[in-house]
Amino acid sequence: MRVPLSWLREYVDFDLSADNLADLFSLRSQEVDGIERFGVLDGEVVVGEVVEFGQHPNADRLNVAKVDLGGQIVQIVAGAPNPYPGARVPVVVPGSVLADGRKLKKAKLRGEESNGMMMSERELGISAEHSGILLLDDSYEVGRPVSDYFPVGETVLELDVNPNRPDLWGMIGVARELAAILNTKFEVPEPVFDPSCEPTGAYTLRVEAPELCPRYDLRRVSGVRPGEKAPLELRRRIHAAGMRPVNAVVDATNYVMLETGQPIHAFDAGEVRGGIVVRRAHPGEKMTMLDGHTRSLDEEMLVIADEERGLVVAGVMGAETAEVGDETTDVLVEVATFAGRNIMETSQRLALRTDASGRFERGLDPNMVDFAMNRVTDLIARTTGGEPAPDTLSFYPEPVEPWEVPLRLPRAELLLGMPVGEGEAAERLRGLGCEVEAGEGKLAVTVPTFRRDLTREADLIEEVGRLVGLENVPESLPRAPQVGGLTPEQRKLRALRRLLADLGLHEAVTYPFGPDRWTRDLGLAGDVGAPLKLQNPLSAEAGNLRRTLLPGLLDAAARNRSFGARGGALFEVGHVFEPKEGPEGMREYALRYRMRGEMGPDAEVPPELLMGVGESNKVAGVLAGIVRAAGWNVPPKPAGFFEAKGLVERLIPGATFEPRTTPFLHPGRAAVVLVDGEEAGWVGEVHPEAAESFELEGWPVAAFELDVAFADPDPEPRFRAFVNVPAVSMDLAVVVDRDVRVGEMLREVAALGSPILAETRVFDVYEGSQVPEGKKSVALNFTFQAEETLTDEAVKEELDRVSARLRDAFGAEVRSG
Amino acid sequence: MSVVERIEELKTEALSALADAGTTKDLESARVRYLGRSADLTEIKKGIRDLPPDDRKAVGGASNRATKEIEAALAERLAEVAVSEREERLRAEAVDVTLPGVPYPKGSLHPSLRIIDEVVDFFVGLGYRVAEGPEVETDYYNFTALNIPPGHPARGMQDTFFLDDGLVLRTHTSPVQVRTMLSQEPPVYIVCPGRTYRRDSDPTHTPMFNQIEGLAVDKGLTLGDLKGTLAAMARHVFGEDVKVRLRPSYFQFVEPGVELDVSCFVCGGSDPNCKVCKGAGWIEMLGAGMVDPAVLSEAGYDPEEYTGFAFGMGPDRMAMVRYGIPDLRLFFEGDLRFLQQF
Repeated sequence: MRVPLSWLREYVDFDLSADNLADLFSLRSQEVDGIERFGVLDGEVVVGEVVEFGQHPNADRLNVAKVDLGGQIVQIVAGAPNPYPGARVPVVVPGSVLADGRKLKKAKLRGEESNGMMMSERELGISAEHSGILLLDDSYEVGRPVSDYFPVGETVLELDVNPNRPDLWGMIGVARELAAILNTKFEVPEPVFDPSCEPTGAYTLRVEAPELCPRYDLRRVSGVRPGEKAPLELRRRIHAAGMRPVNAVVDATNYVMLETGQPIHAFDAGEVRGGIVVRRAHPGEKMTMLDGHTRSLDEEMLVIADEERGLVVAGVMGAETAEVGDETTDVLVEVATFAGRNIMETSQRLALRTDASGRFERGLDPNMVDFAMNRVTDLIARTTGGEPAPDTLSFYPEPVEPWEVPLRLPRAELLLGMPVGEGEAAERLRGLGCEVEAGEGKLAVTVPTFRRDLTREADLIEEVGRLVGLENVPESLPRAPQVGGLTPEQRKLRALRRLLADLGLHEAVTYPFGPDRWTRDLGLAGDVGAPLKLQNPLSAEAGNLRRTLLPGLLDAAARNRSFGARGGALFEVGHVFEPKEGPEGMREYALRYRMRGEMGPDAEVPPELLMGVGESNKVAGVLAGIVRAAGWNVPPKPAGFFEAKGLVERLIPGATFEPRTTPFLHPGRAAVVLVDGEEAGWVGEVHPEAAESFELEGWPVAAFELDVAFADPDPEPRFRAFVNVPAVSMDLAVVVDRDVRVGEMLREVAALGSPILAETRVFDVYEGSQVPEGKKSVALNFTFQAEETLTDEAVKEELDRVSARLRDAFGAEVRSG
Repeated sequence: MSVVERIEELKTEALSALADAGTTKDLESARVRYLGRSADLTEIKKGIRDLPPDDRKAVGGASNRATKEIEAALAERLAEVAVSEREERLRAEAVDVTLPGVPYPKGSLHPSLRIIDEVVDFFVGLGYRVAEGPEVETDYYNFTALNIPPGHPARGMQDTFFLDDGLVLRTHTSPVQVRTMLSQEPPVYIVCPGRTYRRDSDPTHTPMFNQIEGLAVDKGLTLGDLKGTLAAMARHVFGEDVKVRLRPSYFQFVEPGVELDVSCFVCGGSDPNCKVCKGAGWIEMLGAGMVDPAVLSEAGYDPEEYTGFAFGMGPDRMAMVRYGIPDLRLFFEGDLRFLQQF
């Protein structure tokens, strides 16, 4: 809501700078988003009369005027050509400060002196009009300050009105609010007009959809001349409030809307056939609206029609039919209240938001109709010479009455945490328009119908609190009567993120929705069903919910590459989403659960099925290109399977790995991660084809993804006894077929259950010249230790047992030397 | 020349050779030459028994003294040379200490999550627990249970992503509060961090953002408790000197509703061109309020017996303020040039 301060001052007296007023409003009521200034901020604008007007001697596009400012004649250089000798114009004198902060000085323009400036409407803040100098009529007296007629400068507060306060969408409501804040009075001019002409009753009014239209009033005004411009001050205010002047009738309806918050529509009465019908749209009904677009309507939409055709989509926008134009002489003025939710839905379905719909959808006070109708009648009569009908057609079957809400002062003190005086509370609420009866720590508060947000005690307590001032609320620090803390799972997640960061990965947070190619390029399309889809994505590129964290991280890696990175390691912890199909016939229960929180046919049905969504928390890492740059004494570290696997081994110390192909992973470099036989996730190198489609071609890319439930980044330690007897270290190199898995060899060694074998380490795997074709050499290091010093024989014997086992199981031959 | 004189001569020669020897190796050859098995002095000692008895004592005494003296000098020189040799070796081992050390890997934690961790730690210290919930939410938990029934204008304020009928991407973490209240009796003290979604994309809005909401429901909780708790939180995150102020505001699930501003911790309001507060002296930090009685009732709590406060803040924006990040969009692009700064 844009609040021109000169307008506000018409209703309420205040002695505050715009900045102070904005601060006060922000601290007591609604936030002020900004302050805008128009016209002349400081200085003088005088009515002048042009005495001479002619071409500038040295410039084709400039003119030189001599202007009488009331006894003093000054020379002014002007660009605009429209003034003429005898014309009255506003002249701003040197030394004045304009809205942009510029100070006007005496100047010489191409050799000619210029002592001031003749002003356009835009320069005075009256309208956007800037094609020429504003010409004033003869009622403006030469030499008098223009501000005697209308403000030459304007300051506008931009209020960010909360949706529960439709009363603040009008200047009167804002004035009432300010008066309540300042604890002062405000006054609104009474509408006055002379009913003199044709009765409205010549037309009929029929409301066929009362459930969508609590009130509908209609009055006829005859003999209007809308072709005339509205008075300058009225147009100036409409402009300052952010609307565009149109013609005298429309301007009057807009002005009253800005004043009261109540949208008003005027029909060309000559075009209305029979009378006004308020009805639901017919199926398939079409309407060509004021913006030139033809829209299809449906039965959920309310239409204002005559007996033959639709004239307006109620509360949203009018049709071209029956629009008030320059030839209109008779108007029917509509002031009505519609069901807010219906207007909101209609406006959403038509994708058409207007000043009117924005106000109606918040739910307006039907009792405002009377004042607004009288006020707009008054204005139309005064500004267009119209003659109002003596009668109003009114449909208002269930008048809204003020309601009573009790307020207990101890309750107010409890919620606000500060003392609240009975007298003060009563006075504050009266300032808002309530009637208050006090007594015995209780207030009986009667709420005016324009404050539909005040229905409960807590609502009133808020009003008292903010008007007394929230800075008076003292600070206190309650402590929970419980031990706080993170759950073991939450602690684990922290440790996991910390660990990955310490291991050199950078934590990313990426969007969980992406394009179709996420599924397609990972080769998942055929494998699993369609991903969950957003109904209204921001773009087609962001419509699918991820079922793995991988594609977002690959996109990030590709972006980093395009910025010149040579590689990098990213990780993310985040949710992934799977569609879940519930059993047959579940839909009805699902919708009840989703809309009303009710459980299914029995409590056994997991909410996951009622949701139709399986959501789980994953951790994933992507290593791409050079993961760690070379140092002067260390080689660079490229991404690879074992880099990624090493990370998984740190995150889940007891994990085992089995080869497993996945469409998006390298078929020979991919494994499923198992924890006690359960699948915890996967690790592998990304398939070159997938890497290519993510614009990572030519880079090594390795990745992993784990269910965080399986992660154990900081396992609970358990002490094991150790001895001081020195350990014996022995190496053993064996040759096996190249497809023998080392992991299985290690498992065999472990299966020996040797009492003295403390540790086994793989320190070399080699294929090549020293090893026969199709074979590989695996070098193992064993640490033997016992409680007493081991003899050479004992160690030898155990090593022989190991090699025998490897020979039996894998045909391993011990390499000599 | 008498034998004794010869011994004296050898001793002098040996001492001088030892004095000249500069390395352990030179000293070793001097030792072999003067004390070794075939050294002259050794030969003389071996010949003592062949000497006439009268000479034996003199020669024996002289040779022993000479041997001792040479050995003493040798030991002394060995020690000296060892010291200088070690010094020499250490000099040779000097490295360019300005070369970089071995590059241990250095990763980073996301700035928003750093803030979340800090805020969570603060509340845990006050006895709060951390509650979490799904990101795909039902219409009921995301709106209706929070006093925002279908058709309510407040729904229009939150540009919502819709999925299948009745499902949305949560627009705030408030549904977690509802779920918590429905599953336990008061008192409740929780914070709910997490990702939230709104259909909005411009320089200051991203369709996904992080939120931390909190809820305290107990007997006798007041707006003063809310103010004191959040003021302490602000001081924890932004420094001991910051002040807070409350402004009235509107959120459907609280009444009274407030917004909390934090005094600018950079300029304190003294710099009209301050980049952080834009000269206002205050930074909008969070929305909060006393839990609406309708929300308490919906959860099965008696609003006459219990009161509570709730609050919600944006850790992304807090990170922008705290770390001086100019653009929200940087947070969600996985750009290493950004991430590795944290």
